[in-house]
Amino acid sequence: MQALDIRPCRLDADAQALRTEVRAFLAQELKHYSPAERAKGLVGLVPEFTRKLGERGWLGMTWPKRYGGQERSALERYVVLEELLAAGAPVGAHWVAERQSGPLLIKFSPEVLAPQIVPGITRGETLLAIGMSEPDVGSDLAAVRTRAEKTEGGWIVNGSKVWTSGAHLAHYMITLLRTGPKEEGNRRAGLSQLLIDLKAKGVTVRPIYNMLGEHDFNEVFLENVFVPDDFVIGELGNGWQQVTAELALERSGPERYLSCTQLYLAMLDEADPQDSRHAVSLGRLAARYAALRQMSLGVAGMLARGENPAIPATVVKDQGALLEQAIPEVAHDLFGDQREPGSDLDQVMRFLTQSAPSFSLRGGTREILRGIIAGGLGLR
Amino acid sequence: MNTAINHLGVDDGTPSELQTMIADSVERLFAKEVTRELLERFDAGHGDDELWQRVVDIGLPGALVAEAAGGSGANWLDASPVLHAIGYWQAPVPLAETMLGAALLAHAGMEVPEGPITLIQAGRLGDLRLDPDSHRLAGRAINVPWARSCRWAVVADGDHLALVDLRQSAVTLAAGSNFADEERDTLVFGNADSQAIGRLQLAGLQEPVWHLGALMRACTLVGTLEAAVDKAVLYANERTQFGKPIGKQQVLQQYLAQMAGATGAARMAVQVALRSASELFDGTSGERSTLAFDIAVAKVCAGEAATLGASVAHQVHGAIGFTHEHTLHFATRRLWSWRDEFGSDAHWAKVLGQAAIAAGSEGFWAGLTDRSL
Repeated sequence: MQALDIRPCRLDADAQALRTEVRAFLAQELKHYSPAERAKGLVGLVPEFTRKLGERGWLGMTWPKRYGGQERSALERYVVLEELLAAGAPVGAHWVAERQSGPLLIKFSPEVLAPQIVPGITRGETLLAIGMSEPDVGSDLAAVRTRAEKTEGGWIVNGSKVWTSGAHLAHYMITLLRTGPKEEGNRRAGLSQLLIDLKAKGVTVRPIYNMLGEHDFNEVFLENVFVPDDFVIGELGNGWQQVTAELALERSGPERYLSCTQLYLAMLDEADPQDSRHAVSLGRLAARYAALRQMSLGVAGMLARGENPAIPATVVKDQGALLEQAIPEVAHDLFGDQREPGSDLDQVMRFLTQSAPSFSLRGGTREILRGIIAGGLGLR
Repeated sequence: MNTAINHLGVDDGTPSELQTMIADSVERLFAKEVTRELLERFDAGHGDDELWQRVVDIGLPGALVAEAAGGSGANWLDASPVLHAIGYWQAPVPLAETMLGAALLAHAGMEVPEGPITLIQAGRLGDLRLDPDSHRLAGRAINVPWARSCRWAVVADGDHLALVDLRQSAVTLAAGSNFADEERDTLVFGNADSQAIGRLQLAGLQEPVWHLGALMRACTLVGTLEAAVDKAVLYANERTQFGKPIGKQQVLQQYLAQMAGATGAARMAVQVALRSASELFDGTSGERSTLAFDIAVAKVCAGEAATLGASVAHQVHGAIGFTHEHTLHFATRRLWSWRDEFGSDAHWAKVLGQAAIAAGSEGFWAGLTDRSL
């Protein structure tokens, strides 16, 4: 069990002051947002809101000042993230860039790409997408077939990416692709990450409407797209290691357990405190909220200390998705047959019940995550 | 991945030197003494005075008592490996109860007697009450842990704490047990005397024995769950069917990963509550203790993890785990017992749920971040 261990982490007084400031800002900015609008959260794409966060210095808070960051602590950033999510702010436009693309560029291309791209992320002006999955490649990421061939001064890329959230709004896509062959016994060799300008010639973005009829993710076709040498991120052939490091950032954040919060809040307002069934069901969820918040915060502490929390982060995401998916079921159990049509509860429940299947798919399916956890337990 | 600027996160969980020392000594003791033979003798009705004597020899019953009062002066976090180890090794002694009883007596400035101590929260699990004027006790208390083995009981009622001699004639005992054959007796007090009375000041804990008993059980549950995970992983790697270890089957990996995740959540909730308990007893909680909230969270998470964990551990072990010969049942019978004791997960969930409903959509998140629900 030791590989799964997360030590508690506590927030200091500075973080508390910041929390008050963020709450006041959100109370003002989201004043006219209905619960149903707040329920969008991570898939709420509102570039103007993202730019306002940039003006406040709340994007890339931990990054070096030379890239437009604020050099504040990882835990201060954590406070901003959890407040945004709990309030139901529309954070989808910048989420991926702020969470993982900025740190990736700063770490692996500190002199070339980071100075060009990262300041725009901190201002909320430059939006990024992540190109990992492909039409025939989902969980088995090492099987990607999009490839780059060397040419004078750069690379020619051909292939396609799928489930790419926000590609229709993004300026760039960080793309995992093959720059060299697999090696005997190492399928992960020959993978690299390239930054692709989505306005470049040969790029086509096609919407994929989800089962709610909404447009968040896309298919991205790459046909003889030229990518200059400078746009290689990190080392050629090191793509697998770089992507794995990114996934620790992708899996432990507060977005991994807070997705159904607006439904939970709507239930609290409908519930009868004298009804034991209401109190027990909602109380079980409250306990899981409390434990997951501490786990997620604990992993943020590990990241801040430079430890590698890959397995603990995986536990947070798996447990977080269980909480997120339990909430619509509790809503069904307590209020399914008696909610007022068109009420806040009805609207939020409608959206989140139908969104819930994605919570154990995005960012690594439940099965892949549990395989990683099992490895951490010593099952081989 | 580390960005260039790296402010250190405040690590709130690195074990202190004292905690490591206590962990080492209790592990060494239980690993050697709490054998299958001892547990089988215990199940057959033979308690083990020798194990209790060993526990006394290394000073564990007084772990939470200040040094000035003759204890080890450990705080709740430092002493927590003892509680964890009681669960991990399934040690059949009234140690957790005695540690808590002694801690409460010492905190109330009362003298701590020799020998094992049991605990009662008046008004819970029966109608026992302590008369605040006469200091006499009347009424019934059920599921009193280890009462037969204890001469002394600590009874909390309001902010009064009474030390009661259970050998007096005004107290009658009917023997009972939990699923793990641990003594859980019914006591009837017929206007019984208390031998000492004190006042307990623990801000925010209305029912200190009930709350801290729940914390103690949550902590032992986590220890037992970790033992069950270890046993199941070991078994899954060793047991071969269809030409390969059963642990290679994805379905078993999925079960065990889920059990370990639920155990990890309970472990985190317990650690957070232990920190709050340390602060409350040290008087460093600040303006408001979060302990009552933290304990409710911990007992819900530990109880739910016990439910899932017992089921997964048995499924992985197959028929052999259902035999009397295999040691798994020493763990799982305790999981099924302790998840009920000092308030089941449903009980504490109701407490949290009522607070959450009262907070409503406006107040829930602030209550969660302040841990004040």
